[in-house]
Amino acid sequence: MSAKTADFEIRNLCASVEGKPILQGVSLKINKGENHALMGPNGSGKSTLANVIMGHPAYEVTGGDILFHGQNIVELEPEERARLGLFLAFQYPVAIPGVTVAKFLKTAVDAVRGVQNVKPAEFMKELRENSEYLEVDKAFLNRFMNDGFSGGEKKRMEILQMLMLKPGIAIMDETDSGLDIDALKIVSKGVNRLVGPAFGLLVITHYERILNYIKPDHLHILMQGRVVLSGGPELVKELEQKGYDWVREKFGEEVLVV
Amino acid sequence: MAVGLEQEVKNEAFVAGFDEAASRALAGESAVPALRELREVRFAEYRAVPLPTRRMEEWRRTDPARFPFERMKRLPTIPRGACAPHAWDDLFDVIVSVEDGAFDIRDRSGVLEGGQVLVAPLEQALREHADRVKPFLEKRARAEAPDKFEALGDAFWNAGFFIHVAPGVELERGVLLRYRQSGAGGILIPRVIVAVGERSRAVLVESMESPDGVELMSVVSREFHVAEGAKLQSTTLRAWGDRTVHLAGDWARLSRDARLEWITLNFGGRLTKVRFGSDGAEPGANAELDGLYFASGEQHVDQKTLQVHSSPDTYSRLLYKGVAKDKAHSVYQGQIVARPGAIRVDAYQRNNNLVLNDGARADSMPGLQIDADDLKCSHGSTVGNLDEDELFYLRCRGIDEASARKALIRGFFEDVAGRIPHECVREVVHSQVDAKIG
Repeated sequence: MSAKTADFEIRNLCASVEGKPILQGVSLKINKGENHALMGPNGSGKSTLANVIMGHPAYEVTGGDILFHGQNIVELEPEERARLGLFLAFQYPVAIPGVTVAKFLKTAVDAVRGVQNVKPAEFMKELRENSEYLEVDKAFLNRFMNDGFSGGEKKRMEILQMLMLKPGIAIMDETDSGLDIDALKIVSKGVNRLVGPAFGLLVITHYERILNYIKPDHLHILMQGRVVLSGGPELVKELEQKGYDWVREKFGEEVLVV
Repeated sequence: MAVGLEQEVKNEAFVAGFDEAASRALAGESAVPALRELREVRFAEYRAVPLPTRRMEEWRRTDPARFPFERMKRLPTIPRGACAPHAWDDLFDVIVSVEDGAFDIRDRSGVLEGGQVLVAPLEQALREHADRVKPFLEKRARAEAPDKFEALGDAFWNAGFFIHVAPGVELERGVLLRYRQSGAGGILIPRVIVAVGERSRAVLVESMESPDGVELMSVVSREFHVAEGAKLQSTTLRAWGDRTVHLAGDWARLSRDARLEWITLNFGGRLTKVRFGSDGAEPGANAELDGLYFASGEQHVDQKTLQVHSSPDTYSRLLYKGVAKDKAHSVYQGQIVARPGAIRVDAYQRNNNLVLNDGARADSMPGLQIDADDLKCSHGSTVGNLDEDELFYLRCRGIDEASARKALIRGFFEDVAGRIPHECVREVVHSQVDAKIG
């Protein structure tokens, strides 16, 4: 075990849903300032990992730890994890009828930053600015969250929320799925705005396409509930040179779908 | 055999305290012959209506025997008297207050002076404006025969009002009717007839309140007549205290190209049974009916809606949404009725329910009764708890579980709440919802 504790660390995590084990000892370290990519075939446990990190009540952690800034968060409620600075961009964001985008974001920002620390005028300025940056039409702010939004619009909303909440560690669960190239570019532009020394990222994806826009410096391959290959910049570099076919050859066709 | 006999006896019975002697006593309180006559006619109608029983589909989930008439007493006709001012008074043209045994009519903007708009107690209307009120006593807004309690309201009302808007008038801020009752044991029986003249526009808000902990009753019967090309925007807020028992029967009749926007908000009361109907009586009539209800504690709320289409080319849309919590029980029964010949009718009915815990219950029974061809009718209903994925989504954004639940319940109401035209009413809805969520 390394002496230095990572900003975010998953140790030997095991989790099941409805009694069925999905994660079977996942270990992962993410520091702020790093971009990690997690790839793996369907059913390998990628989305389960994302949900377990946020504390979805339908998943049971049967072993292992999740450490954020050295604190074990396995027993924390989802909202407590969010307030510590964890963020999940959902693969399938749900609609919240009756709650406008602006109201939703104000409530979330108040909850995460503390209502006494949020000045309404500054919030509005920030919201306007981030919306413009993501090319989100102003009219969307008064619509009910994700209610009748297209897939691309929903994903853009996830990134808008991320920009507003400024998490320390963000997990993006297949944010790229179903996006056309223009939407992908906008989403990536939003993510890259946060990339820096105060931000650590885990991009979960099925396709290498998004990695052309959000450059990872670490890569992990998840198969059957375990990380089977993990590496830093040298692995990423190796991949860039050898291409993703190399991973495919090593771990089987189903690892990556292009 | 024995059951049949009992039924027969019951059918002839009066509601406790509302018999012929009571009718005569009430009629004797007025010196206006037209009113005495009207009471007589309505009493005869009331007498002919059988008492409801649990065997009737509409009363299967709300036992009519639960209405404690025998423990309550009929109040004499409410006289004119001083009523306390209210924060909402400035927002309306005319305020009708019925408060603890007195009523008061205040004309804030002088609309009553020109005579184009009439807001008067029924007795005065019969005495001084017989020509204006009589047509609406003869022609009923009801598309169906009244049940016993509606007929009781028609016959035994003790707070009757007539609101008449002459043709071509825009009553912009409208009329506020406020009932506030606090004395225990009394039965308040408001009767309201609203007639909106051709091409007129009128706004009506009714607010019903009583303090918690006081057992009292109210029986309301109302008829709205919306004339050709006219529009009535009506909001009914029931915020009775937790021991009030409430019965209501309301009907709106829509003439050619008339439009009705009616929002019903049922929050208070221990035991509530309301039925209301709209009748698209002439082509082009358009009824937009929305409702919210929130039953908590041990509340029982039973609501029946009727979207009657007597005429071709009529339209109605209904959205009724409710929450049941604790040990509360809500009932929704909806009926779209297309009468023979009512072709090209377009009717929509939807009822959505959230049931927040195991002890609470919501019964939803949408329905259609179609006797015409070539029409478009649809109905649907849902009953379920809050969506776990929606809760998780909010919690992942730092919002604690209690606040997330509150946001989702508020959000559930918001599409209808957003249509409430008055900010002050919306605020009451929000505060009622928040208080009930706890």
